[in-house]
Amino acid sequence: MSLTTALTTKNLTLSIAQKLICEKLDISFNPGEFWGIMGVNGVGKTTLLQTLIGLRNANHGAITLNQKGIQDYKRIILAKHMGLMLQEYEYNFPCTVMEATLIGRHPFIHNWQWEDKQDRQLAQEALKTVGLLDLSERSINTLSGGEKRRLNLATLLTQNPDYYLLDEPVNHLDIKAQLEILSLLQQQFSENKQCGIMVIHDPNMAYRFCDHILLLFNDGQWLSGATAEILTSDNLSQLYDCPIHQLNDGDHTLFIPLENEKLI
Amino acid sequence: MKFKQHPFIFLSGLFILVVISFIFALSSGSGSLSITELLSLVDGTASPLHQSLILELRLPRALAAFAAGALLSLAGVLMQVLLRNPLADPYVLGVSGGAAFAALLAMLFGVHSLWLTGSAFLGALLSILMVFSFAHSKGSWSISRLLLTGIILASGWGALISFVLVIAPAEKIHGMLFWLMGDLSYDRPLLPSYLILLFGLLLALSISRQLNILLWGDIQAGSLGIDTRRLRGVIFFLSSLLTAGAIALAGSIGFVGLVIPHLVRLIIGTDHRLLLPASALLGGALLIIADTLARTVLAPQQLPVGVLTALIGVPLFLYLLRRSQ
Repeated sequence: MSLTTALTTKNLTLSIAQKLICEKLDISFNPGEFWGIMGVNGVGKTTLLQTLIGLRNANHGAITLNQKGIQDYKRIILAKHMGLMLQEYEYNFPCTVMEATLIGRHPFIHNWQWEDKQDRQLAQEALKTVGLLDLSERSINTLSGGEKRRLNLATLLTQNPDYYLLDEPVNHLDIKAQLEILSLLQQQFSENKQCGIMVIHDPNMAYRFCDHILLLFNDGQWLSGATAEILTSDNLSQLYDCPIHQLNDGDHTLFIPLENEKLI
Repeated sequence: MKFKQHPFIFLSGLFILVVISFIFALSSGSGSLSITELLSLVDGTASPLHQSLILELRLPRALAAFAAGALLSLAGVLMQVLLRNPLADPYVLGVSGGAAFAALLAMLFGVHSLWLTGSAFLGALLSILMVFSFAHSKGSWSISRLLLTGIILASGWGALISFVLVIAPAEKIHGMLFWLMGDLSYDRPLLPSYLILLFGLLLALSISRQLNILLWGDIQAGSLGIDTRRLRGVIFFLSSLLTAGAIALAGSIGFVGLVIPHLVRLIIGTDHRLLLPASALLGGALLIIADTLARTVLAPQQLPVGVLTALIGVPLFLYLLRRSQ
């Protein structure tokens, strides 16, 4: 894939409150790829996502989308290319599932204009994809944790940008739902030449669905590349400071944490 | 939630309520008028006494009540978006206090009533900027810190208002006190308030879909293409202006900005494209009715309308709060 259509970081250094998140990060996220970002709690994965979408400023270096600096985009234009699913939302007002899904269409609707039939249809398709269509007139306060995650994903699917920035999208979901949603995303990214950049904690899910991995270590060091090269027991043991063993049975690869004397 | 599918029926219903409230206000009071007597105004056959009673006393007062109710409701809606909390309103944040103090100063120095609006606007803007700059700690701010700052500032403004009342000459105190409690019996210019109302409603409607999304938080709004800094700036300015318009016209009237948007949301939800005009209509209509009751229930004694809205608003709000738990 050529570099002309890519989200690229060059020499990106990022820190928050004196803590280094990444130093001199050079990555190109290309269409059709599904990235997993991993690291311990508080290492700055969420901050990195927010920086990639231009909602935070980097200390040094540049982020470009299609060779144009991310800060040079008008936000409303950028929203057609990049979308973000947050780790959690706080919402204190009455709102139905359908209304919450439709906000994903905001970048595509002019001022004074209302959502039309096509917008509603896109929202309905997204709700169907995540299995919430039957609940579309329900109040969002009545949803379970897992249903709320599906709703957040439906909103992003309705926005349908080129770059999906996903902050722990399968949190609170049962195993079957995790598999369904991750394989759906995987298929969508490779078929539509879209790109997913996902923060995820489960190395087994990451190994199964992501084709590229970025590991963020505690001291600003990082490691990126194809999944099979990066997701090894050595790297993961170092990343989580805890011995992790890799099992292969021919078709599947499984990572299991071993007993750690330090923890006992 | 039947109204949700038919929002324009709801808006039309509110419009009819506004008309009914005007008829109620024009026909009630010492010397009640029947509908036919009201209609005789239109074809010009009414007695001159009725004509001056209606056109010079009751109509301007009803118009003032409508504007004040609509302005306060809109200001309430906007501040609830700003705080992302349905319990916010100009009073909770101390914005009314700042506006009232500045307007009282203007009254103390006896300036022209146009300057009253300007002075109230500056007070409101200063107050809202103070709330947010003190509550805005480095990097992030929390809602609870914001509300607490608002409450502290409100009590500070309260002290300054008492100070002005103490040093004010005796002949001005009665009017000031009445005005502070929320009073529509004075004849104030209506035009500035209606211009503010029209401008405010149009500007708010032009950003109404952005308001819907800002309720999901700054990060989500930013990722959906909204320049949140600019949007917040517009809401600051607009809610100050609307509060000032209401304060200059009618003094401190509490609970309208809190209760009206809450009631409308229960019926049609949170979409600001409907919530804003519906709140303006309902707020205007209810304040006309409240003010008419305020001047008739204990006639010839007149109550400040703010007393009446508080007497209705406090139990209603406590009931809503309990029900929502």
